Amino acid sequence: MDQAVLSVAGVRKSFGPRQVLKGVDLCVRRGRILGLMGVNGAGKTTLLSVIAGLRRPDAGRVRIAGVDVSRDRTAAARHIGMAPQALGIYPTLTVRENLECFAGLSGLFGRHARERVAEVAELLGLSEALAQLAGRLSGGQQRRLHTGMAMLHRPDLLLLDEPTVGADVLSRAALLNVVAGMAESGSAVIYTTHYPAELEQLNADIAVLDGGRITVEGDVSTVVRTWASPSVTLRFHGPVPTLDGWARRDQALVPELPVTDPAATVADALKALGHHADGLEDVDIVRPSLESAYLKITGSTGHNAQTDQEACDVAVA
Amino acid sequence: MSLSRSWAVARTSWRLQMRDPAPIIAMTLLPLVLIAFLVQSAKAQLVLEGYPNASGADQVVPGFAVLFAFLSVEQVVSLFYREYAWGTWDRLRTTPASTADIVTGKVVVRFVVGLVQTTLVFVFGAALFGYRPNGSVLGIAAVLIVFNVMLVAFGVMLVALFRTMDQAMVVGNLGGMIMAGLGGALSSVDSFPAWARNLAPVSPAYWTLDAVRHLTLDHGGFADVLPAIGITVAFAVGFAIVAGLRFRATAVKVGTT
Repeated sequence: MDQAVLSVAGVRKSFGPRQVLKGVDLCVRRGRILGLMGVNGAGKTTLLSVIAGLRRPDAGRVRIAGVDVSRDRTAAARHIGMAPQALGIYPTLTVRENLECFAGLSGLFGRHARERVAEVAELLGLSEALAQLAGRLSGGQQRRLHTGMAMLHRPDLLLLDEPTVGADVLSRAALLNVVAGMAESGSAVIYTTHYPAELEQLNADIAVLDGGRITVEGDVSTVVRTWASPSVTLRFHGPVPTLDGWARRDQALVPELPVTDPAATVADALKALGHHADGLEDVDIVRPSLESAYLKITGSTGHNAQTDQEACDVAVA
Repeated sequence: MSLSRSWAVARTSWRLQMRDPAPIIAMTLLPLVLIAFLVQSAKAQLVLEGYPNASGADQVVPGFAVLFAFLSVEQVVSLFYREYAWGTWDRLRTTPASTADIVTGKVVVRFVVGLVQTTLVFVFGAALFGYRPNGSVLGIAAVLIVFNVMLVAFGVMLVALFRTMDQAMVVGNLGGMIMAGLGGALSSVDSFPAWARNLAPVSPAYWTLDAVRHLTLDHGGFADVLPAIGITVAFAVGFAIVAGLRFRATAVKVGTT
């Protein structure tokens, strides 16, 4: 399960004078989900377009299941399923017809196509809607159909560009389950999103695209551990006492230094406060999250990549 | 090229056409309505031109079939641009289907629909207005097949040349009407002023209508219209070459639904 499905090496892409990708290196292994993060305009969609063969890179190489995308896009496309960011469905066709179209394009016909269409519709909770026109579905159902059209042929590499945009809670949960299922069945997945919690839920590997390069890479726990720390806040209903190593902020005390063990920090603080602890109203402990890590990453400038690139280099080569 | 992938595109394109058949029905019925108004004046004109037994349908049935076939080129155009409007063009391109597979799947459907539409105008023209060719029916079939091939090539060329659906539609409709009119769809070329008569051969419609006229009124045989068929093929090849040179699958185009 650790075979590299996708390797991206030194990919550069410019639009006129604007250099969007400045040398991107990535690898995604079979059965893994890579959460690609970055601010709007960071180049995530461009990178996915290059990987999918929709755009040619100015430099660098993309290999999917060993096939060089620039040299043989058709062969590479057999291994790809892509759901772009913008919704792409035929509104005047039924759900079944939409799915059948992409099943056929992926080489599935007849009984195989019918069975797989039914299976994907079931997975995405669209079985009851198969005969409905896609244009009459709810926004969440359309989003699920849009994603389902990419996974009919069980691609080795599934590219999902913000698949949960506009989806309600149920649709989002259904989509995340399906994505996790695809990875469990062996597909490699690249998943871009602006919701870090989704990537935590998927236990994805993380890559942050910033300034045209992958600046941070690692599994969720490594990224969170490296970039975020828990926070502790002691709130008081009366006068806020002074405490060494703690700073006053409104009606509260917060540690002056990053916290590594919040429980021990609170225990030490309570002990040091002594009878002043009587005025304590509330203790907030906020666990570090991918969101707080991401905010710190994107808020920092000129940081160095935290990568597992060495491991990828082997696959890329 | 992959037949199975072109088939998948064609099946979807067929479904898209059949799901919204109003334009096809309109483009088939409207010429029949207009023929009813103009058949008598066409008869008078043909008699003056030396065809005492002409019914008038001999001129207006082929003429309006050709005119409305040109106007139906917008259906070729919309079949492509709607993919952009629906966000499905790039999706198609992420599949193993090549650009050639996609274009082939689409144009085959439009060719079949266009051919059926043109044929129906002839068939109903015969049933309702007494259109009776006195030459080779096989020749007429061949001319119509080649004419419809030329039309889809013209449509794809418009898609290749223009960024927006509106631009392609305007140029397509305007160009189509001028070509059809200049080719003799509205009135016999013989009735044109000299300058227009001299200009008429630059229109592919001229060659189609000239061939059909020979086959309808002059007892023409299949061999008689081979030069006209060849020239129509040349137009089709010319449009296809321009389309091939200018078509960019990666181009950003603006369609409307």
